[in-house]
Amino acid sequence: MNQMQFGEGGCDKARKYLDSYISNELLVETNHEVLKHLEGCPACSAELEVRTKMRARLKAAVNSQAVPPDLQVRIRRQLEHQASGGWFRAGWGRWAVAIAATLVVCTAVWVNYPRETMPDLSDRPGQNVYIQRVSASLAAVLKVGLGDHIHCSIFRKYPQNPPPIEKMESDLGPSYKGLLPVVRAAIPEGYRVVMAHQCGYAGRKFIHLTFEKGGDLLSLVVARKNPGESLGGLSAAAEPSGIPIYQSAAGRYEVAGFDAGDFLAYVVSDLSGRKNLQIAANLAAGVREFLVRTPA
Amino acid sequence: MLFSKTPRVDEFEAAALPHLNDIYRTAARLLGRGTGADDVVQDVYLQAWKSFDQFELGTNCRAWLFKILFHTLHHYRRKWLNFRMVNDGEQILEQMATGSPPIPEHVTDEEMLAALAEVSQDFRAVVLLVDVEEFSYKEAAGILNVPMGTVMSRLSRGRRLLRERLAGLAHSYGIGDEPQEGIIA
Repeated sequence: MNQMQFGEGGCDKARKYLDSYISNELLVETNHEVLKHLEGCPACSAELEVRTKMRARLKAAVNSQAVPPDLQVRIRRQLEHQASGGWFRAGWGRWAVAIAATLVVCTAVWVNYPRETMPDLSDRPGQNVYIQRVSASLAAVLKVGLGDHIHCSIFRKYPQNPPPIEKMESDLGPSYKGLLPVVRAAIPEGYRVVMAHQCGYAGRKFIHLTFEKGGDLLSLVVARKNPGESLGGLSAAAEPSGIPIYQSAAGRYEVAGFDAGDFLAYVVSDLSGRKNLQIAANLAAGVREFLVRTPA
Repeated sequence: MLFSKTPRVDEFEAAALPHLNDIYRTAARLLGRGTGADDVVQDVYLQAWKSFDQFELGTNCRAWLFKILFHTLHHYRRKWLNFRMVNDGEQILEQMATGSPPIPEHVTDEEMLAALAEVSQDFRAVVLLVDVEEFSYKEAAGILNVPMGTVMSRLSRGRRLLRERLAGLAHSYGIGDEPQEGIIA
């Protein structure tokens, strides 16, 4: 930090310290002197504005660069591999048999408990904080699908006894009820549809289908695009049938997305990245074909 | 205390992964196009995971990750980090005070990034840490393991060089051909 006295040649002195002033790195006294000088000097004020704008433009330019959507997936896999392998390298091998036996007993209990602390159903602010925290590292356009999946399938909870298909079709409405058979035909065997409806989260409306298989939960979330919104700025993780699919991990969730005419479609689950991407690839062609035919 | 020394993956992910984008973008800007920023970032997270038991939860995880990033880059590109182009001296502050080259009113992201790429890497690193990632001088000094005065002088020089590159762009647009005191933003 710097301290200085202003007097003769005030402009030269002030400009030496403008960058530290912008970075808020000057001592209070020096900061005050710079401010005082700026108030009476249009040229130095203009120079301050230029430097401030240049810094803002630089930050915006750097942050405009897309991060590979599968990078987080790769890192998580690497960590999981290291975490499991590390046990033996750290001399834990001799404990392995005993721990494995304990795990057999514990697993039956563990699967009935949530894997992480979740906000209560009535804690709406806590839910929003959770969603923001989990999705912090995602590109904005991928956050859309994850937010509705967590809000609707996780917090609102899917019904243990799903309603009849006719009721789900009715909840989807006449324009979207045809999506249900399309998805059911392409979803892997063993998944049962537990919820299908129109819902809303964070000011947006969604078509939301939820499937369950042995405790694994998977959502197809569809939203109308906002102006200028597209997944196209990201790097595709796969491109089955010529449809680019973008995927990224957020916490324990995997979010895959693809453009479908005026819509954004997402497959969100807590499956592995590979499985989630495979299911998205299975669904993409049929879902896109249906949605591009859907009237605006 | 059977598990006390084994950090949990979910704790690490919660603390470290939110900073992935910043780490990647900084690595990419320092390494340049197509030079394996992905690999470096994966290595950073691997190194961070291995030493996570030394990290105190609740302290500045972001600065810790950036320190690992620069340590990794140091090994990854030992040559350029060992090659000292910097002349740390008070004259740099003097240079900042004299002359203010004009920059174009509208600069695209590509033009800005191209200009940044032309700034020497030691200077670029400090500009990225302070101006883009908004670390304090003290934090940047800790990340780069250099004195705070070095951060200040490199920052001034880096900003000056960036501005000169942008001024070159302005010149190509016909801006700044006339001598002028004011600067176009």
